[in-house]
Amino acid sequence: MMEAMRIVYLTGEHVYLRPLVIADKDSASAWHPGPFLMGAAQAEKVLKDEGAGAARRLALVRSQTDEIVGSVKLTSNDGFRRCWVTFHMAPSTIDCDALRAEALRLIVRWLRDQMEVMVVSVEVAGDEEETIAAAAELGMVLSARLREFVSRAACRVDRLTYQALNPRWEVKDA
Amino acid sequence: MRNPVMVGDRVYLRPLEVQDAEGIAGIDAVETDTFMWRGPMPSSPLGHEKWIAKLYEHLPPTEIVFAVCLKEADRFVGLVGVYGIDLVNRVGETGSFLGPAEVRGKGYGTEAKHLLLEYCFDHLHLHVLQSFVLETNTRSSAALAKQGYRHAGRIKWADVKNGRYVDGNVYDLMRHEWVAARAAWLQSRTAGLTSQ
Repeated sequence: MMEAMRIVYLTGEHVYLRPLVIADKDSASAWHPGPFLMGAAQAEKVLKDEGAGAARRLALVRSQTDEIVGSVKLTSNDGFRRCWVTFHMAPSTIDCDALRAEALRLIVRWLRDQMEVMVVSVEVAGDEEETIAAAAELGMVLSARLREFVSRAACRVDRLTYQALNPRWEVKDA
Repeated sequence: MRNPVMVGDRVYLRPLEVQDAEGIAGIDAVETDTFMWRGPMPSSPLGHEKWIAKLYEHLPPTEIVFAVCLKEADRFVGLVGVYGIDLVNRVGETGSFLGPAEVRGKGYGTEAKHLLLEYCFDHLHLHVLQSFVLETNTRSSAALAKQGYRHAGRIKWADVKNGRYVDGNVYDLMRHEWVAARAAWLQSRTAGLTSQ
C-alpha cells in the first residue's frame, strides 16, 4: 500500500515523498515536528485534523528502506501562488542534511517549474550546509537572516530564508 | 486596573478576555487608515470570541496576546502579542494593533510594546524576537527601528498592495538591543523631546 503512495514526480535517488496515511501513526516521532513525544492515539488525531486542513504534510521516505526520515509541510494561503516549505527531520536520522537537500531539489522544481508557483520559500538553519548548497544550486535567493534564531546543543545559529522566484512571474511583474 | 500583568506610566497590559471581542470588532469597524495591510477589514465579535478562547487551550501557549489598556479610565485600546512561541529555540514573533486612529501617535503603542518586550525577554526569557512588516507600512517599520529591531531581510512578493506584489521587511531583536533602545526612549521622554 505504501509503495502505491509514492509520488512519482517527487522521487529522487535516495528519498521520495508520499502522503501520510493513518498507519503512519506508529511512527509519529519521524514525521511530527518538535522534540516532544507523541503516541499513536494522538498521532491519529493529528493526521486526521491535518489531512482535513489547508496545509499539506508529506512524508519523506528513504528509498532503500521505506523508512520515514522526516516530513515536509507545504503552506499556502492563496491557492499555491506563493508557498512556504517547512522541513522536519526525524531525530534518529543521521544523514538528514543530505536527504533534506535532495528533497528540496525535488520540491522546488515541482512547485516552481510545473505548478508555476510564483515564489517558493524555505527556512534553513545556518549550519545545514548541504541544504544551503541545494538552495543556491536551484537559484534560490537569500532573503532574510534572523540572527541566532536556532538553538543547537552548545551554540546558536542563524535562520536563513531562501526564496525561489519564478522567472515567468518576474518577467510579467517587471 | 483589572488583572494587570505589565504596568507602565500610562498603559497597562492584561490577559485578553472573551469580553474584549466586542472592543476589537468595534476598533475594526471604525478603522480608516489603510497603511497597515491591504486595508481595513470588518470583523465579528463571534470570531474574536472563538479566537480568544482558543488562546488559552494550548499549554504551554504558542501565542500570548495582551489587551492594551489606558490606565486612565481603564480603556481598552488594542492588542500586543507574541506569536509562534518556540520555547525550545526561545524565539517568537511580535505583533501589535492599536486603535481607533485617534489613540495612535500618542506614544501608547511604544509604551505597550516596551512592556511586551520586557515580558518576552525578562519573563519568558526568549533569546531573539522577529517582526514582519509590509514594505508599504513605513510607519510600523519606523516604530520597530526605535524599539531596537534590526533589519534582517526582505521577503519577496509577500502580499498585494496598490495593485502590485510588494515585499515584506523582516526584523529581529536581541535583548541587549532592546535594553539600549528602551533606555534611549525613556531618556527622550524624560527630556520631553517626544512622547513617542
